[in-house]
Amino acid sequence: MAKTVHVTVDGRTIEAAEGAPLLQAMLDAGIHIPHYCYHPKLTIDGSCRFCQVRIEGIPKLQISCNTPVRDGMVVKTDDPEVHTVRRGVIELLLLNHPLDCPICDKAGECWLQNYSMEFGAREGRTIDPRRKRGKRLDIGERMLLDQERCILCRRCVRFCNEITKTGELHIFTLGDHSKLDIYDDARLDNPYSMNTADICPVGALETKDFHHKIRVWFLEETASVCPSCANGCNIMISAYRNRIWRLVPRRNDEVNDTWMCDAGRLNYRFVADPERLRAPLVDGAPATWNEALDRAAGALGDFRKRQGGSALGAIVSPHLTNEENFRFGELIHALGVQQVAMAVKRGPADDFLIKAEKAANARGVRELRIVQGDDDGIEALLGAIESGMVKGLYLCGDDLLETVPADRLERILAQLELLIVQTLRPNPRFARAAVIFPTTTFAEKDGTFTNHAGRVQRIRKALETPAGWLNDGEIFTALLNAIDARGASFALDRVWGEMARDGNVFSALDFNEIGPRGMQLAAAGK
Amino acid sequence: MAARVVKVARPQPMTRRWTPLLVGLGVAIAHFFRNLLGFARGRQDFTVYFPEQRFVQPPAMRGMPVLVQMPNGKERCVACGLCEFACPTNCITIFPAETASEVERYPEVFDIDMSRCMFCGLCEEACPEEAIVMSRQVEIACYSRRGSLWHKQDLLVPEAELKPRLDYLRPQYARK
Ligand code: SF4
Ligand code: SF4
Ligand code: SF4
Ligand code: SF4
Ligand code: FES
Repeated sequence: MAKTVHVTVDGRTIEAAEGAPLLQAMLDAGIHIPHYCYHPKLTIDGSCRFCQVRIEGIPKLQISCNTPVRDGMVVKTDDPEVHTVRRGVIELLLLNHPLDCPICDKAGECWLQNYSMEFGAREGRTIDPRRKRGKRLDIGERMLLDQERCILCRRCVRFCNEITKTGELHIFTLGDHSKLDIYDDARLDNPYSMNTADICPVGALETKDFHHKIRVWFLEETASVCPSCANGCNIMISAYRNRIWRLVPRRNDEVNDTWMCDAGRLNYRFVADPERLRAPLVDGAPATWNEALDRAAGALGDFRKRQGGSALGAIVSPHLTNEENFRFGELIHALGVQQVAMAVKRGPADDFLIKAEKAANARGVRELRIVQGDDDGIEALLGAIESGMVKGLYLCGDDLLETVPADRLERILAQLELLIVQTLRPNPRFARAAVIFPTTTFAEKDGTFTNHAGRVQRIRKALETPAGWLNDGEIFTALLNAIDARGASFALDRVWGEMARDGNVFSALDFNEIGPRGMQLAAAGK
Repeated sequence: MAARVVKVARPQPMTRRWTPLLVGLGVAIAHFFRNLLGFARGRQDFTVYFPEQRFVQPPAMRGMPVLVQMPNGKERCVACGLCEFACPTNCITIFPAETASEVERYPEVFDIDMSRCMFCGLCEEACPEEAIVMSRQVEIACYSRRGSLWHKQDLLVPEAELKPRLDYLRPQYARK
């Protein structure tokens, strides 16, 4: 740990770690210092000259981003010269800036707009025409570049050099001719390319996905967690009119710093998939929730009486929350199920954020000790169905469709006497299911996911579900109540209370204390 | 959405309290005597016989908001969404889309719910493109609620027809 030092800013004493950038120390203390090029996760560039402050004992103004704090430093930000510099920086940046705000996707969250309103002059003094540059340049699979809007802060360049180490972007030529571009033989296609649009303080780098979609001031943001892989990157869900318009990363230094991968960012359309099940199906026909619950409870009870609970198998979904899976564990325990497994889709991984398991909560299922074995019990369960020991299956999620070869799956499903499914989309393979319940996506419910490293993180409801809709946990609870006459409820704190009594690793945590950064499970467990 | 209060600097005569009051009173009194005199002389028409008769409203009049149609048939609007945000009754719905032309953005959907519009003109004031203006049209009653939802095609009015209003507006936004 670095030594703590004291710095005086405009008469106020703030604390900082010795050697930290003065700018960061002031920002951490809640002092508003305008800046463009400084980013806490990138090296210091000092190119925008916007963060200048007066430091006692130094004749000229200093850029605070590149000034390490020293004990006893006396800083002045409310200084006539500082104000002049800020106005000057804004004026220079606006000399050639196009008047694009009405059609610029960044408008509303643009640092140039905000700082011009705050520090800029109201009127321009130039009479020269604005410099022309490339607009709407297709620089990558998912990215667009507008060189006129670029303020040459080099954040994106540093991102590609330091974080992804792919180096596609560069500022070419010098002085007034400087312009940002890709190298001739490179396109901005790295798996993290869309982060450049987040860190670009202006609308120069834009994602094609969000291009001309919706004004940012209409978006309602909900802090959540990316559901697309085991890393569990922290995100904001931006919704408007009950629809997701984009996902953006949220800072969590323990998990994803300030980044997320492009694949995760773009994986939200399934929430609004027109093919999604909007009502339960009973024997293939749409039914009300009560009919479906009655039928499922009846069929499960009946099956248990005839064949015994051990003839029933279950597949847990790694996409459901810890709470839902805990409740599912109780349900299958009450039914006497012996064979439980989990199917997890796998895909490419790297040594940065992207993890091979393409589901958010596989670790949570394992920590709840619902499944056992290296393959999470999948082979054992499938074998038991093939050998006829297991004749009924409660299937959560449809990952099985992609992890088991189609012909084998076909045979297995055909062998079952009872099939109950909880899934996003109807699928011809589930034609024989007695009941199909629609599943609820990460954006439509509250709960927690456990990421690959055992960090328990909150997801929050961003979208409303139709009236009468039950999420997966509520379905499990209703079935449990019907089968076991328990009177349980799916209020999250109640579920956590039960989880604590159950004595699993989650009992060491307090649900209400899981903050925006999540909480680490104890090192014990798997 | 958090509400914001913006202080608008009004032109001088409005801030001097008594002048407009006296002017208004003067107009009312003048009309009173003119009508009294007319009545004494046997005049019959004290009002305009609508709809057979109409009078041409001054350009300052705020009827329903319409979209300016450029000579090439396209809307001038770039779907920036400022009118949508400025509208106090939330009656404008815009969904932008992209075109290949140089002005790359246009409204794919531009709906105004006229049953909620209160003709306040804030949309016109917010628009950076002179793309939405208050027309003289006020005869917009209809028999169904659906009929009061005006879509982009219904809202487009050729620029030439809106000239009086545009000419009236421009000097107000001129820079000092
Ligand atoms: S980058 Fe910012 S200032 Fe420039 S056009 Fe876009 S919103 Fe306006
Ligand atoms: S594109 Fe954006 S991030 Fe990159 S240098 Fe220009 S302004 Fe900075
Ligand atoms: S006139 Fe007023 S109420 Fe009507 S659309 Fe414009 S801003 Fe909205
Ligand atoms: S303010 Fe003007 S340009 Fe912007 S969306 Fe409304 S009509 Fe279109
Ligand atoms: S933030 Fe310090 S020079 Fe840009």
